[in-house]
Amino acid sequence: MASQDEEIEVRAPALAVDFLDVSKEYTVNGKPLKALSSITLNIKEGEVAAIVGSSGAGKTTVLNIIAGLEKPSQGEARVLGLDLNGSNEHSLSAFRSANIGFIFQSYNLVSTLTAEENVELMMELAGWSDSGRNEKLTAELIGLVGLTNRAKHLPAQLSGGEQQRVAIARAMANDPPLILADEPTGNLDQKTGLEIVKLLARLKGEKGKTLVVTTHDDRIVEMADVIYRLENGSLGSVDRPTRVRS
Amino acid sequence: MEVWGALIGPLGFAAKSLRRRGFHSYLAFLGLTLTVATTTFLLLLGQDLATRLGIDSSMRSTFGISWLIFAYLVLALALVSIVGLLSSSYLVSSMINQRMRDIGVIKAAGALPRRLLSYVTFEAFVVIFSSCFVGALSALSIYASWSWPSVSLFKQVGPVPNAGATVLIVVPLTSFLLCYGVASVRVRRIVGSSSVNAISKQLSNLDLKSLGKPLRIKRFGSAFNLATRNVSRDRGFNRTLLSIGICIFLSMVVLSGALVSADTSTSYVVRAMPPHIIIVANINIYNQYVTLGTSFSGTTPIPSLDYVNESYMISPQNSSAFRSIPGVETVDTRLITMSSITGFVKAHFASNQDTGENINTQIIPEVDTGSAQALIVGIDPSNAIGDWYTSDGFLHSNDAQYTMIAGDSLIGNIVQMPLNLSQISAFGFRYDVKSALVDPLNAGRVLYARVQTVQQNLGVNGYNVLLLKVNSDPAVLPGVTRLASSYGLVVGSQDPILNSNLAFLNATWSYISLIPILALALTCGIVLSYLATNFSRRFNDYVVLKVLGANVWYRLKLLLWESWGVLAISMLIAIPVAWAVSIFFLVPDPSISVADLELSTLLSALALSSVSVASATIYSRRLGLTTVKDLKP
Repeated sequence: MASQDEEIEVRAPALAVDFLDVSKEYTVNGKPLKALSSITLNIKEGEVAAIVGSSGAGKTTVLNIIAGLEKPSQGEARVLGLDLNGSNEHSLSAFRSANIGFIFQSYNLVSTLTAEENVELMMELAGWSDSGRNEKLTAELIGLVGLTNRAKHLPAQLSGGEQQRVAIARAMANDPPLILADEPTGNLDQKTGLEIVKLLARLKGEKGKTLVVTTHDDRIVEMADVIYRLENGSLGSVDRPTRVRS
Repeated sequence: MEVWGALIGPLGFAAKSLRRRGFHSYLAFLGLTLTVATTTFLLLLGQDLATRLGIDSSMRSTFGISWLIFAYLVLALALVSIVGLLSSSYLVSSMINQRMRDIGVIKAAGALPRRLLSYVTFEAFVVIFSSCFVGALSALSIYASWSWPSVSLFKQVGPVPNAGATVLIVVPLTSFLLCYGVASVRVRRIVGSSSVNAISKQLSNLDLKSLGKPLRIKRFGSAFNLATRNVSRDRGFNRTLLSIGICIFLSMVVLSGALVSADTSTSYVVRAMPPHIIIVANINIYNQYVTLGTSFSGTTPIPSLDYVNESYMISPQNSSAFRSIPGVETVDTRLITMSSITGFVKAHFASNQDTGENINTQIIPEVDTGSAQALIVGIDPSNAIGDWYTSDGFLHSNDAQYTMIAGDSLIGNIVQMPLNLSQISAFGFRYDVKSALVDPLNAGRVLYARVQTVQQNLGVNGYNVLLLKVNSDPAVLPGVTRLASSYGLVVGSQDPILNSNLAFLNATWSYISLIPILALALTCGIVLSYLATNFSRRFNDYVVLKVLGANVWYRLKLLLWESWGVLAISMLIAIPVAWAVSIFFLVPDPSISVADLELSTLLSALALSSVSVASATIYSRRLGLTTVKDLKP
């Protein structure tokens, strides 16, 4: 059996996310339920893509498919050059741990691990076995999100904003080219949400990460290079705002 | 508010809450039902075995060995009951703990504590009552199909009338009362605590002492590191470890106790009737001796016989001739006879029950304890073949002339405790009772005295049975046979008698082995419930790991380390302690087959490890089906 250390060889693509007519159908109580209908996404490397839409529009399903947690029922889906349809569960896990960072609306830190351990865990999952290097990197990331003095606290001892900052540090821990964020400011107040938006902006500006964010937050939408609007599982519109950024 | 209450009501609340929890509700119900069903079935099986083996009334074998079997059954069933009740209460406690957050939320939303208490308690009542009811019905169905067509719930076992029916009512009822009591106390405590504490249960479940000290054991990898951190920071870990440890310990006592008791009872028989012994006697006495020897395992009545008939006697000179055959190591000269005996308790000073001191002013007169037919064996203590298990040693050459050793089946009726106050009247003479022994001969209704004394009492000069211990030289047996033929005697091996008795014992213990096997199965079920409960509690963390990229193998390793690690620690402590208890405290003068104990330990470890592998695999598969949508806020 292959080990966690294995990494999938990924070609350098122009598109980080390339969906062509992707549909997803579930069976609920024996009846088919269409969650996504012929979605086409083209998210380039280094872009921030905002996926907006009302609840139940299919935003989280899109993230699930990008992360390789679910496979499309129809259509072609390539993420960082990897054909998701043709990959098995094991290679998708290895792909995820090496190439994708996840930020959740409800933070979802591992409850039994401290802030720094949550970050370090991601490095272990990515197969980085040099514990000295991992510790150093963890301290850097924890410092980057401004939580050095809270590093040895459990998630339950941290506020929502602090937990989300740990989640961002964790999402960056394996230095992934692609970060997926599922309504990252959804559970936070205005001020704390703004801190998170700033942190995400730094990910794009300083680290050159590709960000795919599902959100209702206008501040994140404003930051986006491309905005996908989902309506009842279908792509309502694609907007590529042209603006000058400082 | 009232309309809402009328619409929902305790039953509606329970139904909605249980339906919403889905798999976890099913798990709690299943765990409790299995525990109640298995405990009830085991106790039904135990009373059935006791009835079938006739342990409580007229069992074959001897009093000592049937007492050993009965004592084992009682102990095993008592331990099984404790395991069942302990695990039921743990499962209920865990089930209520899982509702802690919901209770806090409902309370924070403004629910009246009394109403909340009644709603949640009713929900627990529904689960517990249905589990106990279904468990009892399942136990009855399994028992009925197992013992069909001789199903009887109304036989008396020991002091318990209608034992089966009693078990069927008492066990589920006790389980119900205990579980409901535990649930009520837990719910009361949670409802009584502040809403904030109840809502932020995550923190209350974690042990903060070990923070900042991550374990780094590189050899076992990341999954092991994470598992140790998860387990060591879980406040419930010690409680889980203790509960699992106690269950494993008790079931191992039941398992190893069965092996030790079986080996010991076998050794009692083998010590009284060693293998490779040759019997030399007149054909009629020989046949009688075989019947007496196999009365332990058979039901053939002992025919009457004139044991001291002149033609059956072997003179001292003839018996000496056997000693002179090369290869004959020992000649055990015996004079056996069946006689009516009467037991007495000598007149003695009354003693203080607590201190044992004599109360010199009060004399208790001699008491006649009754009469019975018993086999009296005159034996030469210095050449006796046999190493009986005795309470105070066998006969010695320097014992008083009128001294007897009583077989275990005479103890408690003809021969009363303490033995130093007991006397036996035989052949018109009074014998003191020195000791008691376990002997399959005449099913334990036997008395050993010095052969010269018996000869004097009966007025004969000779023996009627010779037991010969010979070496392995193949020429010895033909020599013995030739000499015996010349005296008109027959020669036979004692081995068929021994084998018949051992086969009977083996069959009895094989029958009883159902109890330890099912006790182990019960423990496996309980361990499965414990592990499932713990996995359910941490399921969200596992889903996070999966989403972050932990592959199937990593997740399986994590679950395995978490489950098997706890089990391994429990087994490491519980199994040696159970061995020690079984060996040193369960039976007197125990005999242990190390291979049997090793096998039982291996089997238990394998069974329990399989449970951990199974539970880890089940949860790993469940994890495989989860996505981000399954993460709980």
